[in-house]
Amino acid sequence: MTDLLNVSLTGMRAFERALQVTGHNIANANTPGYSRQVAEFTTRGGLGSGNGFVGSGTQIATVKRMYDAILGEQLRTSSSSLARFETVAGLAGRVDSLLADPSTGLNDGLRSFFNSVQDVANDPASIPTRQVLLGEAEGLADRFRALDARLSDMEGEVNSRVRLAVDDINRLASSIADINDQIAQTAGIGQPPNDLLDERDRLVLALSEQVSVSTVPQDDGSLNIFIGSGQSLVIGSEARMLGVEGGEFDPTQSVVTYVGVGGNTPLDNSLTGGNLGGLLDFRANLLQPARQSLGQTALVFAESFNEQHMSGMDLRGNLGGALFSIGGPESLYSSSNTGTGTASATVSDATSFTGADYLLSFDGAAYTLTRSDTGQTIPMSGSGTALDPFVADGLSIEVGGAPAAGDQVLIRSGAGIASSIRTVIDDPQAIAMAAPTRSSSSLDNTGNAEITPVRTVDSSNPNLLDPAVIEFTGPSTYTINGAGAFTYTDGDPIVVNGSEVTISGTPAVGDQFTIEANYGASGDNSNGLTLAGIQAVGTLDGGTVSINENYGRLVSGVGGATRQAQANVEAQGVLLSNAQDEVFAVSAVNLDEEAANLLRFQQAYQAVAQVVSVASTLFDTLLAATRR
Amino acid sequence: MRVSTQGSFLKGLTAMQRLQVALDRTQQQVSTGRRVLKPSDDPIAASRSVDLRESIGRLSQFDRNAGIATNRLAQQESALTSVNDVLQRVRELALQANNASQSNESRGQIEVELRQLLDNLVQLANQKDGSGRFMFAGTLDQTAPVTRSAGGFEYNGDQSRRLIQIGENRQVADGDPGADVFFRIRNGNGIFSLSAADTNLGSGTLTTGSVVDPTAWTPDQYTVTFTAPDTYEVRDSGAALVATGAWQPGDNVVFNGIEFGIQGEPAAGDEFVVARSANQDIFSTVEQLADAVGMSVSDDAGQARMANGINAALLNIDQAIGNIVDIRTQVGSRLAVIEKQVDTNGAFSLTLQETLAGIEDLDYAEALSRLSLEVTTLEAAQQSFLRTQQLSLFNLL
Repeated sequence: MTDLLNVSLTGMRAFERALQVTGHNIANANTPGYSRQVAEFTTRGGLGSGNGFVGSGTQIATVKRMYDAILGEQLRTSSSSLARFETVAGLAGRVDSLLADPSTGLNDGLRSFFNSVQDVANDPASIPTRQVLLGEAEGLADRFRALDARLSDMEGEVNSRVRLAVDDINRLASSIADINDQIAQTAGIGQPPNDLLDERDRLVLALSEQVSVSTVPQDDGSLNIFIGSGQSLVIGSEARMLGVEGGEFDPTQSVVTYVGVGGNTPLDNSLTGGNLGGLLDFRANLLQPARQSLGQTALVFAESFNEQHMSGMDLRGNLGGALFSIGGPESLYSSSNTGTGTASATVSDATSFTGADYLLSFDGAAYTLTRSDTGQTIPMSGSGTALDPFVADGLSIEVGGAPAAGDQVLIRSGAGIASSIRTVIDDPQAIAMAAPTRSSSSLDNTGNAEITPVRTVDSSNPNLLDPAVIEFTGPSTYTINGAGAFTYTDGDPIVVNGSEVTISGTPAVGDQFTIEANYGASGDNSNGLTLAGIQAVGTLDGGTVSINENYGRLVSGVGGATRQAQANVEAQGVLLSNAQDEVFAVSAVNLDEEAANLLRFQQAYQAVAQVVSVASTLFDTLLAATRR
Repeated sequence: MRVSTQGSFLKGLTAMQRLQVALDRTQQQVSTGRRVLKPSDDPIAASRSVDLRESIGRLSQFDRNAGIATNRLAQQESALTSVNDVLQRVRELALQANNASQSNESRGQIEVELRQLLDNLVQLANQKDGSGRFMFAGTLDQTAPVTRSAGGFEYNGDQSRRLIQIGENRQVADGDPGADVFFRIRNGNGIFSLSAADTNLGSGTLTTGSVVDPTAWTPDQYTVTFTAPDTYEVRDSGAALVATGAWQPGDNVVFNGIEFGIQGEPAAGDEFVVARSANQDIFSTVEQLADAVGMSVSDDAGQARMANGINAALLNIDQAIGNIVDIRTQVGSRLAVIEKQVDTNGAFSLTLQETLAGIEDLDYAEALSRLSLEVTTLEAAQQSFLRTQQLSLFNLL
C-alpha cells in the first residue's frame, strides 16, 4: 500500500511540475525570443519481484526547450541582411530625394542659369539682364554648395552611427560572454538552462542585426562568435572589443578596427551585413561616389564656363575673367608615412577629369597611381616635377620632398570640392558676352570678297587685341600689317594673333580687311552664344557627356541604388518573415495548446489523486479486517 | 504545421501594415497625379524625365529668343519701309527736276525738299530701337552710326551681326549693320559708273551704260576724250590709248566690252569718265542729287552738266532702292525661318511633353481601381484579424 501511495505521489509531483511548465509558457507567450518548454515524462523503473516488474510511477526526465538551431541560424542570417538593406535603403532614399527634389537638386538651377545666359545673349547691353545672370550664377553656386553640405552632413551622421553600432556590438558581445559563463557553470547539473539559452539566442540575434556573425557551439554549452573574415568576437566567457578610429588618410572618417594583441587591424572591408555593414556599404559605394560625381560636375562646369568666359570681352572692353572660383584636389597623407614626401594635384584637363579618389604610392624608386574605387592602376606620363608633372586622368600631380618606400598619398580629386564653388564677379558690366575682336571689310573695297566674323582660336595670345590689316597686293596675294606676301586661297582660314577669319570671293587689289579689338560692341553676343551652348555641349568624359547628363547620371545612379536596396528590403523582409514563421512554428507558444495541456495535466492530477484515495480505502479495509 | 499565437498575431499585423503602405502610395499617386513620386520609384523613368524636362525647357527658351528676334526684325522692317518711302520720293523729285520745263527757282524748291529728305534719311539711319540702342550700328549700338563730316558721311558702327539662337542648331541674325544697309552700295550700274567733266563745253549728256561682253571688261578708270566733235579716244588710268572711234549723234561709245550713249552734241575737248563701280552711301547720293538739282543753269553746257548729275544720281538711287529691297527680302526670309523654326520647336516640344506625360503621369483608371482593390483587401484583412484573434480556448474554460 505504501508503494501505491508512492506511485501516486510521483504522479502528483510530475503533473504539478507539468502544470508549472504550462503556466510558464502561458506567462511568456509574448516574451520576445522565448521558446516554449515541454515537460518530458518518463516512467520510473519497475521493481523486480517474483511476479515480474511492477512500475513505480512517473517522473519528469527533463524540461525540453523547443528550439531548432538551424532555423535559428536562418533567422539570424535573414535579420542581418534585412538590417543592412534597411539601413542602406533609408540613407540612400534621403540622398535620392535630395538630388532629385526641384528645390534642392541641380537641374532647375542649371536650367535657369543657362536661360539667363541666353537672355543676356539676346540683349547683351542690358544691365538688369546681366544682373539677373549674376544672381542666377550665385544661386547655382549656392545649390552646389548646399548639396555637398547636405551630403557631407550625411557622411558625418554615418560616421557617428558607425560609432554607435560598434558600441552596441561591444555591449552585446560582453553580455553574450557573461551568459556563456553562466551556462558553462550550469553544465554540471546535466539539465539545459533553457531560459539562459533563450536569452543568449536573443542577444545573438540582436548582434546579427548590427553585423553578420558566425557561431560555433562548444561542449560546455557556450557559444563562440566570429565576425568579419573570422575574427573572434566572443570566445567562451571572454569578449573581444571592436574599436573606432580615424581613417589612415582622413581622420574625420570612422574606421572600425579589431583590437587584437598585436595592435589594431582595420576591419572595414570585411564587415558585411547588419546595420554596420549597411552603413559602411552606403558610405563607400553610394555617398562617397555621389560626392565625387557632384565635385566633378561642379569643377567641370566652373572650368568650362570660366574658360569660355575668359575668351570673351566685357562691356568695359576688358577680356573676361573667371566667373566662378572653385577649389582643387586635396592631398591626404597616410598616418603611417615615414618620409617627408609631398604631392599636390591640380586639374589640367577637365574633359578627362573623373572626380575619383586616387592612391599615389611610392615604392622607394617610383610612384604608382591607383584609382581607389576600381583598384585599377592608372598609367602616368611625366616625371612629377613642377615643369613636367605626372599627368593621368585629367590631373597633374607634382611630387616633392623625400618620401620613404611604402609611403602613400590619397588624392581626393573630386569629393567635397563642390562646397568651394563661388562666384567672383559682382559687376554686371564684367560679364564677357562679346567676342574679343571683330572683323570688317573696308567700305572702299571694290572687289566682291567678304570676310567672316572672327572666331577666337587662342584667347591667350598676347597680341590678341592688336589691330591687323589684311591688304590685297594682288589678286591672290595679301599682306598682314604690311608684312609678307601671303598667298590667298578663296575660303581658307587666316589666323592673325589668335583670331581666325575666312575671306572668300574675289578681292580687288588694294582691298582691305581689318581685325581689331571689339571695343564698344555692347550689342555683340558672340561669346554669349558659345557660353549658352556649354549647357548642351559634351564637356566631360572625353567630351561625350554634358554637364546636365553627368548630373542625370548621378541622380539615376543613386535612384537605381535606392531602388535596388528597397527591392532587397522587400525580398529580405519576405525571407525574414518566412524564417520567423518557421521559428514560431517550432518555438512560439500556442495558447490554445497550453489551455489544452492545462486541462490534460489537471485531469491527470485528479486521476492520480484518486489512486491515493484507493490506497487509503485499501488501508482502511485492511485495518477493519485485523480489528476483529 | 503548428501555428503559434504570437506568430498569427504578427502575421496579421504585418499583412495589414504592408497593405497600408501600398494604399498610402496609391493615395499619394492619385492626389498628385504622378506615377513616379521619387526617382527610386523608377530610376530609368526619372532620368528620362530629367532629360525631357531639360529639352522642353531649352525649347521654350528658344521660343522666347525667337520672339525677341522677330520683334527686332519687325522693327528693322518698318524702319526699312520708311527708308524706302523716302527714297521713292527722292526718285520722284529727281525725275521731276530732270524735266526741261523746270526753272532755276522751281528746282531750288525741289532742292530744299531733297535736303530735308536727306536729313530724314540720316535720322532713320540713326534710329534707336525700343531699348534706346542704335538699330543700324551693328554691335556698337551705343554709337550713332551715321555722322556728316567734311568729306561726306561716315559710318561709325561695326559690321557685326548679332545672332539669336532659335533652335538647337539654328541661329538667325536679328538685324543688319548700317554699313550693309546704307553704305555698301555700288554706284553706277554696279559694274562701272559714268560722269562728265565739269569743264565740258558741249551739250553731251550720258545715257545708261551697259556691259556687252563681260570677258572683255577690265576694271579701271578710263577717260573718253572727244578729240573732235565726231571722234573720240579712250585712255586708261595710265594714259595709255585703249581705243579710238568715230561718233555721230545716236552712236554708242564702245570699248573693252562696254557701251554707253551720249545725247546732245559734245564739243571737241569734252571728257567723259568711265570708272569701275565703287561703294557710295545713300546719303552722299542724295546730297549729290540735291547739288545737281540746285545748279543754276544758264546755257546748254550747264543744262548738260545738271542732266548728267541728275542721271548719275538717279542710277545710284535705283541701286540704293535695290539694296533696301534686297535687305527687306532677307529680313522677310529670316522671319519666315523663325516662324518655321518656332513651329518645329512647338511640334517637338509637344512630342516631348507627351512622352514625359507617358513616363510620369498616372493612369487614373488603373490607379483608382487599384485603390479600391487595396481598400477592400485591407478591410478584409482587418475583419479576418479581429475574428481569428477572438478565438481562444480560454474563453471556453
